[in-house]
Amino acid sequence: MSIIELVDVGFIYGKKSPYEIHALQNINLKIEEGCITGIIGHTGSGKSTLVQIFNGLIRPDSGKVLVNGKDIWEKPKEISKIRYIVGMVMQYPEYQLFADTVWEDIAYGPRNMKVSEEEVKKRVERSAYFCGISKETLEKSPFDLSGGQKRRVALAGVMAMDPDVLVLDEPAAGLDPRGRREILGGIKEYREKSGKSVVIVSHSMEDMAMYCDTIAVMSHGKLIMHGDCKTVFSEKEMLAEAGLDVPEITNTVHALRKRGIEISKSIYTVDGAVNAIKEYLRGDKNGL
Amino acid sequence: MGFDVSLGQYYEANSFVHKLDPRMKLLFVIVFLVATFVAKNIFAFVLLVALILFFVIISRVPLRVIFKGLKPLIVIIIFTAVLNIFFTKGENYLWGKEIIPNFWRVDIYWEGLINAGILVVRIVTLLIGTSLFFSYTTTPIELTDGIETGLAPLKKIKIPIHEFAMMMTIALRFIPTLIDETSKIMNAQKARGADFSSGGLIKRAKALIPIIIPLFVSAFRRADELATAMECRCYHGGNGRTRMKILKMKARDYIMLLISVAMMVSVILLNIYAGGYSL
Repeated sequence: MSIIELVDVGFIYGKKSPYEIHALQNINLKIEEGCITGIIGHTGSGKSTLVQIFNGLIRPDSGKVLVNGKDIWEKPKEISKIRYIVGMVMQYPEYQLFADTVWEDIAYGPRNMKVSEEEVKKRVERSAYFCGISKETLEKSPFDLSGGQKRRVALAGVMAMDPDVLVLDEPAAGLDPRGRREILGGIKEYREKSGKSVVIVSHSMEDMAMYCDTIAVMSHGKLIMHGDCKTVFSEKEMLAEAGLDVPEITNTVHALRKRGIEISKSIYTVDGAVNAIKEYLRGDKNGL
Repeated sequence: MGFDVSLGQYYEANSFVHKLDPRMKLLFVIVFLVATFVAKNIFAFVLLVALILFFVIISRVPLRVIFKGLKPLIVIIIFTAVLNIFFTKGENYLWGKEIIPNFWRVDIYWEGLINAGILVVRIVTLLIGTSLFFSYTTTPIELTDGIETGLAPLKKIKIPIHEFAMMMTIALRFIPTLIDETSKIMNAQKARGADFSSGGLIKRAKALIPIIIPLFVSAFRRADELATAMECRCYHGGNGRTRMKILKMKARDYIMLLISVAMMVSVILLNIYAGGYSL
């Protein structure tokens, strides 16, 4: 079942002014339950606008947004409830930290939801675990942490609200490779252990290939592709048209194919490539 | 709300007023301010109003735009006018004691009515004058430039004019940035279930903490980064600093100077020879 469904959604920035921009046009998209869905697109393609539609921060000018099958704009006054169902981590979320201690900051969301203190404690500890925040760090001031650590605290703050869908806008932007791996690995573990759906916005093909189950491709406010990694990454030309690149390893595979080495063209992880090449070599020997 | 009047309302056009030296505009507005407060009779006011209308017309800023700028202040203007009507004591009854029982204590005199009228004219011409010269026809950068060079002589008595002007420029530059940042932080906290629009006064004030603290933190961080960036480009205060645009008085600026002087002199003469407020 799809947890979020967009039906013919459109959104215009600066409506009825000379600066009108069609940020989104006729978007039809289903986010499946329990999956990690990636949204990719070049800068200004409407990715961030799209995810802000998911949790009702932006009201679309046309079309419908269904969460768990219900139109979220049916009762505009109750839109804040949707934000508990669709948890959202914005770009560079480390700037939203404010409390005295990391613990308090993570507890802000759950407390707004008015869950019991016991439950707050449980949730803070659980999300701190997924985000790799140690017990000592929980007692520190969020302003004393490094950039990567702050990012994890902000992420934990949203995770602690226990949303059905966790939406992350560029969660790994500006982090070093190790920071990226830790944060994305934590998200994957969270998904596996909690069974909740996750949406990740990014323009790093490598990250997407590693962590996502399905990928939606945005270009100029339109959804041009949506499918599993294999299908999306085998459309090299279409991605190039959208200003995007396939993962490095897929490029390598394509280059090998050009030289007459017959391996599948829809390979998008290094492990996959290693296996395919091994198999190819084995087959080659058998042929000889 | 009054903020809108003085900030970022530059109206692009090519006119005499737009092209004036900002220092001259500064001087004119100061003289105009003094003249409006010195003016004591109807003729002086007619002169000032006519003058400001003349400048509005030659500046090519549509009247509609100017009145839109006044809108947020209408409440304050009406409020002061009403206070004046009710609280001025004079000799000529218009309405009051004789007509209704005394415990109402509303006595209205002709003097109060005139006072109120004059006050309204004063405030409106002042607002139109300052906003026309300072915001509709002058970019903030020109204005700070004008202030800096215009007030340069004050450096001799150790007033750090350059620093003030730089602070002003930076402050103006960062207003849109901060507005942007505020809305981002608000969205982020809303996504964490923050509620800014319900509950009593204390609850609402408390709800603002998660916005104000990150805003301050980022403002300080920005200031720090800006300072570093300026130092990297060898900024070390105003001494020996050259400017890209050198202000120079032209013929039209001298004409404006003449107008300022003539305006002040005629207001004073009218005050002396045409008497005070008269009916």
